[in-house]
Amino acid sequence: MTKNEKKSLNQSLAEWKLFIYNPTTGEFLGRTAKSWGLILLFYLVFYGFLAALFSFTMWVMLQTLNDEVPKYRDQIPSPGLMVFPKPVTALEYTFSRSDPTSYAGYIEDLKKFLKPYTLEEQKNLTVCPDGALFEQKGPVYVACQFPISLLQACSGMNDPDFGYSQGNPCILVKMNRIIGLKPEGVPRIDCVSKNEDIPNVAVYPHNGMIDLKYFPYYGKKLHVSIEKFLCGDYSFGKLEHVLTYHLSGVGYLQPLVAVQVSFAPNNTGKEVTVECKIDGSANLKSQDDRDKFLGRVMFKITARA
Amino acid sequence: MHQKTPEIYSVELSGTKDIVKTDKGDGKEKYRGLKNNCLELKKKNHKEEFQKELHLDDHKLSNRELEEKYGTDIIMVYLGCVLGLVVILTGIFAYYQEAKSTNIMSSFNKMIPQQALVIRDSEKKTIPSEQLVVGDIVEVKGGDQIPADIRVLSSQGCRVDNSSLTGESEPQPRSSEFTHENPLETKNICFYSTTCLEGTVTGMVINTGDRTIIGHIASLASGVGNEKTPIAIEIEHFVHIVAGVAVSIGILFFIIAVSLKYQVLDSIIFLIGIIVANVPEGLLATVTVTLSLTAKRMAKKNCLVKNLEAVETLGSTSIICSDKTGTLTQNRMTVAHLWFDNQIFVADTSEDHSNQVFDQSSRTWASLSKIITLCNRAEFKPGQENVPIMKKAVIGDASETALLKFSEVILGDVMEIRKRNRKVAEIPFNSTNKFQLSIHEMDDPHGKRFLMVMKGAPERILEKCSTIMINGEEHPLDKSTAKTFHTAYMELGGLGERVLGFCHLYLPADEFPETYSFDIDAMNFPTSNLCFVGLLSMIDPPRSTVPDAVTKCRSAGIKVIMVTGDHPITAKAIAKSVGIISANSETVEDIAHRLNIAVEQVNKRDAKAAVVTGMELKDMSSEQLDEILANYQEIVFARTSPQQKLIIVEGCQRQDAVVAVTGDGVNDSPALKKADIGIAMGIAGSDAAKNAADMVLLDDNFASIVTGVEEGRLIFDNLKKTIAYSLTKNIAELCPFLIYIIVGLPLPIGTITILFIDLGTDIIPSIALAYEKAESDIMNRKPRHKNKDRLVNQPLAVYSYLHIGLMQALGAFLVYFTVYAQEGFLPRTLINLRVEWEKDYVNDLKDSYGQEWTRYQREYLEWTGYTAFFVGILVQQIADLIIRKTRRNSIFQQGLFRNKVIWVGITSQIIIGLILSYGLGSVTALSFTMLRAQYWFVAVPHAILIWVYDEVRKLFIRLYPGSWWDKNMYY
Repeated sequence: MTKNEKKSLNQSLAEWKLFIYNPTTGEFLGRTAKSWGLILLFYLVFYGFLAALFSFTMWVMLQTLNDEVPKYRDQIPSPGLMVFPKPVTALEYTFSRSDPTSYAGYIEDLKKFLKPYTLEEQKNLTVCPDGALFEQKGPVYVACQFPISLLQACSGMNDPDFGYSQGNPCILVKMNRIIGLKPEGVPRIDCVSKNEDIPNVAVYPHNGMIDLKYFPYYGKKLHVSIEKFLCGDYSFGKLEHVLTYHLSGVGYLQPLVAVQVSFAPNNTGKEVTVECKIDGSANLKSQDDRDKFLGRVMFKITARA
Repeated sequence: MHQKTPEIYSVELSGTKDIVKTDKGDGKEKYRGLKNNCLELKKKNHKEEFQKELHLDDHKLSNRELEEKYGTDIIMVYLGCVLGLVVILTGIFAYYQEAKSTNIMSSFNKMIPQQALVIRDSEKKTIPSEQLVVGDIVEVKGGDQIPADIRVLSSQGCRVDNSSLTGESEPQPRSSEFTHENPLETKNICFYSTTCLEGTVTGMVINTGDRTIIGHIASLASGVGNEKTPIAIEIEHFVHIVAGVAVSIGILFFIIAVSLKYQVLDSIIFLIGIIVANVPEGLLATVTVTLSLTAKRMAKKNCLVKNLEAVETLGSTSIICSDKTGTLTQNRMTVAHLWFDNQIFVADTSEDHSNQVFDQSSRTWASLSKIITLCNRAEFKPGQENVPIMKKAVIGDASETALLKFSEVILGDVMEIRKRNRKVAEIPFNSTNKFQLSIHEMDDPHGKRFLMVMKGAPERILEKCSTIMINGEEHPLDKSTAKTFHTAYMELGGLGERVLGFCHLYLPADEFPETYSFDIDAMNFPTSNLCFVGLLSMIDPPRSTVPDAVTKCRSAGIKVIMVTGDHPITAKAIAKSVGIISANSETVEDIAHRLNIAVEQVNKRDAKAAVVTGMELKDMSSEQLDEILANYQEIVFARTSPQQKLIIVEGCQRQDAVVAVTGDGVNDSPALKKADIGIAMGIAGSDAAKNAADMVLLDDNFASIVTGVEEGRLIFDNLKKTIAYSLTKNIAELCPFLIYIIVGLPLPIGTITILFIDLGTDIIPSIALAYEKAESDIMNRKPRHKNKDRLVNQPLAVYSYLHIGLMQALGAFLVYFTVYAQEGFLPRTLINLRVEWEKDYVNDLKDSYGQEWTRYQREYLEWTGYTAFFVGILVQQIADLIIRKTRRNSIFQQGLFRNKVIWVGITSQIIIGLILSYGLGSVTALSFTMLRAQYWFVAVPHAILIWVYDEVRKLFIRLYPGSWWDKNMYY
């Protein structure tokens, strides 16, 4: 029996060898060179045709799009909230007051984030009237200044450590940009601590107010600062495109709210959960079963000595 | 560095899980220790918490929060459940289908509990026959089944029907004498399960149960292993291909994923996704349904399929070994020829006898018909006035029944004629006399006289005659008339027919007055110098539909071999009349006879046909049998035993043929089991045969087999189409994963969505293909070669995967890109977005227009993408379904609307798609969303392209048969 099996194994091996290369017919993998050539040529032509066709249909599809505004905005009716420094894994900040290396990353992140908000960067932006939607007709859409001093202790102007070295860390909260969003009422970001014994949560600007003048947003292509806008030349189609791409970071500035959690010395090492929510505006949702970041954000801070 | 700290001190399980993942990822020892530390720390923390207060808020959390808290991906759990469910449901479904067809079968086994009359304690008792023991003395009377193998002690005119055992349709006499070495041939044994037709018999039980002859055959049958059906082999082959493709692509991309620095766990998830995309989950159910639909259709045409897979086997059959009695013939002796007035007349042998055209004006016929009517003991059973003559039940043996029915058809009420001509004396047929005689009072108004009528073996009858009736006149029987008699006798005998001679004598009224008392024992009447009237020959005639069916088999490339227990001459005659041996082909013996040379001198290559008897077969080696099977086109096996039938079937299978065997007797069951497809007779068949068979012919008609072959071939073609249809979308389901891994797009289609295509929208359409009509006359081509014409061949796989499948994938991607672009994510933004896209804590991902998206908003968009991709595939699968209607002909030749079920399939596809998108769009686990109506039309141009492309393919195949294109593109 084993002999038989061995034989059949050898046979099948020989068959495979013959299949891979058959010297009598010159077949390689069951096809002759000519046959392979034909089949490869066929697929070259066929796939070339398919690729061309796909590119064409994609091109047609892209023609239906508007360069400035997406065709539909139904999937993001209401903005989410996001915090800075940007968390690495979960929304948890842990640092040690006495160990500057433990929060150096946070500070660096905050500085980077606030760079467009420096006075230098904002000098070309427009000063807009407070308390009302800043609707523009175009073709030039200007961006409003956001004075960084509004963030007070968290502006980084007075305290380059954003309070981390004192055990009063600053976290910035921002609202996601959505083109055309017009908040109703008086929107503000309200932050509370979930731990009853540590109530020291301060919000800047006062009351977490978000001024309506920063709305609506007109998209990264239109909503730019004046000076940079003038640099771009709209008459040269493609060039203009490249330029706006580069400009995107320095155009529109979205309003920020800073949260400062003050850890009393006896609270070091304790984890504090802070929840921030949008409040005061009927069309900005902050309660959604599935989306935990829709109009709200929750994060944890642990400060050690 | 700050990123590691929170992990270690994290109380959350998800944090731990991340470390476990990293651990898996690089597998470095130092992380192990870290993990342990972490666990200890965690424990400590937990203790502290317990001491403080019972803290539980899981009930307040939503599913999503729970998922995040405990790191369990609920979607994955759903997926696991769904996959498990798929496996279980498919299994249950297949079982249900099988069980259903088995149930139909079991309804046939109407086993009536058998009773036996046994003499025990000098008392006659009726006991169930399974309680019999060896040594019991049993009594059996006409009409009973023999309850065990018994040795006859005494019998009174007992005749048994051994047809189920030996195939002989003649009733066999049974007596207590030992007459033959072979137990099957000797007269003093009655076999279990045969029927005692008449008389009574007393015997001793010598074997019971499994030790009986029937039991031996049954164990022979069960000893024959169940062979895999061709379709099972094909499906296995197909599974190998699909599994090979799925696993190799899966592993390839697993390696790619790992080398692209994906985590191993993620890579395994990709692997699962790829395999799920590649396996046509719904196909098994589809194939089962398709087969059972065909089985239903065949049942309507009197083919009951027991084993679903056998439906296709019949289609690939290349040799049919057919039984003679009952399958090819009507299983009823019928008058075929008459000879009187020196002339042979042909009688109508069709099923209803309606058309008797021979000359009935001759006065000889009047005399002959009188003998036929009067010299006959058979009678119709009472109470069948409304039954057509040919279907009336008769008490009497086969020949007498034939004569009774024959005369009833021609003369009218036979019983009335017999009443008018009262029988005064009778000598019944026995094997020593070989004749039957009766004397009747004539109802002649001119004076009462007696008529003696006699029938029997022609040569015996002729011996007793001195005159012969020609044209109503008595002529002396001289040598020349005797010679014409012999010629006619030989001719009819050569047709394989049973010939009977008829003679009569009017007893002179003066010698035999009305009051004369006839004494049978004293024989006080003359039995010689009679007047010979004529011959009559009978045969079990072929069914009228059989010759046509045999021709159809021929043109379909199927060899029909007759295997019978009957005499070679009869077998050959029937074979000739049904076309198994065609009119112009000769056997070696025929040639020898024609050329008047010895059989050995004939060149065997000249003969097309062969008649092989069981005796010859016994001395043959298997090589010789192979030679016969290979060299002769037309073969008849006669006088074969059950074992030999098995040998013949094996011989055919050695020729690489798919063999169908028909049979009815218990003796056939081993061969039925051994055959690739065993076909039992529903009416004449024994239960053993039906149990061993894969298929039952409800009307015992060979012609039904041909319908079966047709259906079987059609189902093979249609299965090909179904599989091609199901395979196509696999590429469209697979490409998203590949692109996702390599290019880093947000996942275009989810695993559950794939399952909804495979098991939801695609099921009914692929079943609908089973209703497709044949493209051309499938009965005019050769049966498929078992090892060459595969169900899934290379062109099928290549065309489905690399042509249509790829086009589908492109179409579906177009819909996907359209949805993303119109929501703000342009195609170029999507590239390599995957990592950021899937990060749970990135809740401000910028799209191409500067808007920022939370994770959930992205996820919802991703689901919309799934739905879009799903719709893209769905729309193109409609085109795929339409093109799969034909493999060679244009759709317009086939008729777009001829198969209505296809349209039901398309409608169902759309409706299920609509329900999934708009009805269940809110069920999170299914990850479907409401899709804008216009996205349903984005893939339509691609669908049209698929149709056009396939039409072009078919056009070239039709225009250039045998060309490169044909070879590579025809599946």
